[in-house]
Amino acid sequence: MTAIVEVENLVKRFNEDVLAVDGVSFTVEEGEIFGFLGPNGAGKSTTINMLTTLLRPTSGKASIAGLDIMTQQDEVRRVIGLVPQDLTVDDELSGRENMYLQADLYDVPRDEARKSIEDLLEVVDLQDAADRLVKTYSGGMRKRLELAEGLIHHPRILFLDEPTLGLDIQTRAAIWDYIKDLKAKHNITVFLTTHYLEEADGLCDRIGIIDHGKIVALDTPATLKRSVGGDVLTIGVRSEEDLTDLISSRPGIISVRKEDGVYRAKAVHGEAATPEVLKAIWEKGIAVTSVELSRPTLDQAFLEYTGRSLRDAEQSGSFDKAAAARAMRRRR
Amino acid sequence: MLWQTLALTKRELKHWYRVKVQIFMTIIQPVVWLGLFGQAFNIGQLFNAPGMPPGLFQQAFSGAPNYFSFMAIGMLAVNVLFTCMFSGMSIVWDRRFGFLNKLKVSPIPRGVIPVSRIFSTVIRAMIQVVIVFAIAIAFNYVPGLTGLGLKEGFGIVEVLGSFAMLFLLAVGFASLFTTIALAVENQETLFGVINLINLPLMFASAALFPTALMPDWLKGVAEYNPLTLAADGLRQLAFVDAAPIHSMWFNIIGLLLFSGALISLSVLTSRRLLSNR
Ligand SMILES: Nc1ncnc2c1ncn2[C@@H]1O[C@H](COP(=O)(O)OP(=O)(O)O)[C@@H](O)[C@H]1O
Ligand SMILES: [Mg+2]
Repeated sequence: MTAIVEVENLVKRFNEDVLAVDGVSFTVEEGEIFGFLGPNGAGKSTTINMLTTLLRPTSGKASIAGLDIMTQQDEVRRVIGLVPQDLTVDDELSGRENMYLQADLYDVPRDEARKSIEDLLEVVDLQDAADRLVKTYSGGMRKRLELAEGLIHHPRILFLDEPTLGLDIQTRAAIWDYIKDLKAKHNITVFLTTHYLEEADGLCDRIGIIDHGKIVALDTPATLKRSVGGDVLTIGVRSEEDLTDLISSRPGIISVRKEDGVYRAKAVHGEAATPEVLKAIWEKGIAVTSVELSRPTLDQAFLEYTGRSLRDAEQSGSFDKAAAARAMRRRR
Repeated sequence: MLWQTLALTKRELKHWYRVKVQIFMTIIQPVVWLGLFGQAFNIGQLFNAPGMPPGLFQQAFSGAPNYFSFMAIGMLAVNVLFTCMFSGMSIVWDRRFGFLNKLKVSPIPRGVIPVSRIFSTVIRAMIQVVIVFAIAIAFNYVPGLTGLGLKEGFGIVEVLGSFAMLFLLAVGFASLFTTIALAVENQETLFGVINLINLPLMFASAALFPTALMPDWLKGVAEYNPLTLAADGLRQLAFVDAAPIHSMWFNIIGLLLFSGALISLSVLTSRRLLSNR
């Protein structure tokens, strides 16, 4: 495997005080689907915008297919495709006209363009709607059109910034299938960002967890989940007494934390540890009110590395700030 | 590069002609201007008062047979200005709706972005010019209205010469307003700037009134207004003008410099104005 994206200590600072990207380093291998998972405001879009030459990094280095993003911008632009977070298709043109315009911008010869446009429209199921003005399209259709547009010039790497943001569950699942299909057909590398766990989990070969502009973990979804340290046993009891030590003394239990009145214990083998723990509590004459055994999820991995769950991160102020910043950028 | 420019020019024109109201406005606006303004201000009457030497009007108004004819020619130039002032408006919209980012990640030279807007605006301005010209001539055949009276021998050379000068004027103004649109951050600022320079440009020129009647300070400015260069040149072609403001060559070279300098400025600044921060 060879690296197609190489990033070294990339930093982006806005107006002196906002450190949007705080020194990230990573590589993306040719042919993989690489994902950035992080809450709103984590610095995902800012990173993508720097890699796609839309923003100038404050410091650091990055190259795409061996081309420097600062000094070889034109060459970089030829090998990348971008589907930005905010829709950019032209509402007043038809789907097909949008595709042809995109082909023209990339100097794709007419014959070749015609063929790949029809192929791509077919993959994203837009042949029937292709001659309608885009302003009559639904959100999912627009996103599919953008996906197809991003591939007209046969880029070596496709950047997808939050490809399913704001779409309903079914549409989201459909988009995932389109992404997989397109990737298989065109044999390209995909770099995507998301704040949906299922998306990162189901679609990506490797995930970088990004928070406050820093990559806090980077690995395959399976390894990330495993690194959380096994299964999680959640036990609720009817007692004021502190059972932390009792539970952690049982065989197979790695650690215990008391949160919101329940105990969360990590175990190497949840099935084996559960009866042991229940038995110990029961023997003390304390009533167990609830038991839950869960396999490690990406959300737990996220919690482990960032100290908060992705859902909490979304609800804390950062969401509104990011939305406001985006609105501001749109206005400029 | 040319291909990409044409593709984007086509997009601009599609946006324009797909909105039926805009086609309607393109035709109706000159009718209203020529009809109301040109017919109502029959300034020529004033010069026919008893005791006035004959031919005074023609002398003051570039040899035009009547005020309507004088104004109709100026209106061709003013129409170019008015069509061009919204050139670049689409850049502001594209910035707002993200389309500009799509152009910026594509490998097109940055200058293609303003130049495509300039091209499409110039095409629209020239269409408008043809319409205004046709309407002004057509007024000759409407009973009760004054039409555009041209000199004897006005032919194909004069038509082509007039269009060439209006073309240069359009390139210059479209470039000017497109560059402004590239530089401003939002629509409100753009409107503000347009309003600020638009009317002074129109009135401080020979387009609607002869500069000879202006106070000296204003005349000094107005005589070098590109609108004046175009209007003066056009009138020398349309009428027998005994006292032109400039020589024909001065007007042509002036317009060439005006359009050449401003389109170059637009291309040269686009790299910086569209660069990422
Ligand atoms: N143009 C900008 N000016 C100032 N701050 C910005 C700008 N763009 C992004 N930010 C800030 O940088 C941080 C990261 O934003 P962003 O990369 O959009 O996050 P994400 O895509 O992960 O949601 C946020 O705090 C955001 O408010
Ligand atoms: Mg984002």
